[in-house]
Amino acid sequence: MTTPPSEKLDPRIVKQAIAWHLRLQAGDDSELQRQCEHWRGRHASHERAWQRVCDMQRELGSEFDALPKGAADALETSARRLQRRRTLKLLCLGLLGTGATWTTRESLWQPLLARHRTGTGERRRLRLEDGTELHLNTDTALDLHFDAEQRLIHLYHGEILVVSGADPGAPSRRPLRVRTRHRRFQAIGTRFIVRLNEDATLLSVEQGAVAIDAIPPQRVETGQRYRVTQDEATLLAPPAMDPSAWSQGLIVTRDMRLADFIAEISRYRTGYLGCADSVADLRLSGVYRLEDTDQLLTLLARTLPVDIHYRTRWWVRVEPRG
Amino acid sequence: MPPLDPDALYREHHTWLQRWLRSRLDNSADAADLAQDTFIRILLHRNRYEIQAPRALLRSIASGLMVDRWRRAELERAWQESLLHLAPHETPSPETREMALQLLERIASLLDGLRPRVRQAFLLAQCEGLTHPQIAERMGISLRSVERYVGEALFHCYQLRYADDLDG
Repeated sequence: MTTPPSEKLDPRIVKQAIAWHLRLQAGDDSELQRQCEHWRGRHASHERAWQRVCDMQRELGSEFDALPKGAADALETSARRLQRRRTLKLLCLGLLGTGATWTTRESLWQPLLARHRTGTGERRRLRLEDGTELHLNTDTALDLHFDAEQRLIHLYHGEILVVSGADPGAPSRRPLRVRTRHRRFQAIGTRFIVRLNEDATLLSVEQGAVAIDAIPPQRVETGQRYRVTQDEATLLAPPAMDPSAWSQGLIVTRDMRLADFIAEISRYRTGYLGCADSVADLRLSGVYRLEDTDQLLTLLARTLPVDIHYRTRWWVRVEPRG
Repeated sequence: MPPLDPDALYREHHTWLQRWLRSRLDNSADAADLAQDTFIRILLHRNRYEIQAPRALLRSIASGLMVDRWRRAELERAWQESLLHLAPHETPSPETREMALQLLERIASLLDGLRPRVRQAFLLAQCEGLTHPQIAERMGISLRSVERYVGEALFHCYQLRYADDLDG
């Protein structure tokens, strides 16, 4: 949570990540794999670019896989005809580029990627066909793949609370699963939270149990909280914050460090929100509303010896009072 | 940025825009629709646009909308045509067809702006799952070119996917 969500990556690094991605796709080559890992390890931005490219490729993959037979031809043919029409009728492709980009940026990528999505600061509740209740926290994207064999929630980023349903309509028992880029999780009649961070997936079980699909599988019981990466699953100490309060529009803290609290709040805002080192270790306990984070910050200044400095609406810092 | 007065913009330029669109579309009902859509878009996203050259802006937005419309029409036509080549048992149900068309539209606008060869290489890789050597052979180009093309397409996708990040 230390990197701002809006970090912009150098296009050259993105292109390098794409090049690595393509090279590795070409075949199993352990030497190449090693070199790529070395490249990723050289700088945090390399790793970030790499993750983004992998996520994107996966998302593209699931979209293209859904195309029926004959669709590729239709895409190619229509693109060629469109090009001709444009040239004939508009004569000026440069101008067109801009027009098209505007429409594209608003309407296209978001639905393309994830059929269910929330923006920053937005929360949503879905009721699925099997009776499962799904809460999406801020900046979350996921796809649902429900078929005869399973009910799969593919989480691309963000955080969800799952209250699993009985799935009465299905002819046979279909497992309810959540997949992130780190692991797959399977529910056993339950209420649990999956939060996808940059480096790991956090799993908190509030009711029932969840199995982490690892080797060997790991069972997570009610009240437990795990940090899961591709390599390992580690039991965490109880958090300083109620993991599912956000689904009620609240953040509930118990003796939480101010710096952690601020990092948490910044997930619900666009722009930069940070705090000075000298106040980072102040502690707070309480119940706050997520609805209006500006108001929340004002409140903060009343309970702690801090001032809120607004340089612009999008650049806010919490400083010691004085 | 000068403050935007949508009413004034509409009064001064609506007739002109409709005429401009009519000269490029086959029927005037479409032109009227698109002109309307253009003004609505400016209204909804008013803080996104700089209204220093109103007609250039209108033309640019209207062109984008016009291309969206053409894209949908061309896709529908091409998709109908390719369904004719399928065996009866492969033909999808009307419902599936409509869903597929929506998916196609999203993908088509994603591919928008790619150079034809780049698009072709990318589609061969993504839709048909061909390896790069297979694509090179199919398109009669070098392996290096295939890698460059597919990479270019992925970068294009990346820019759209993470476009929000540029705004902060």
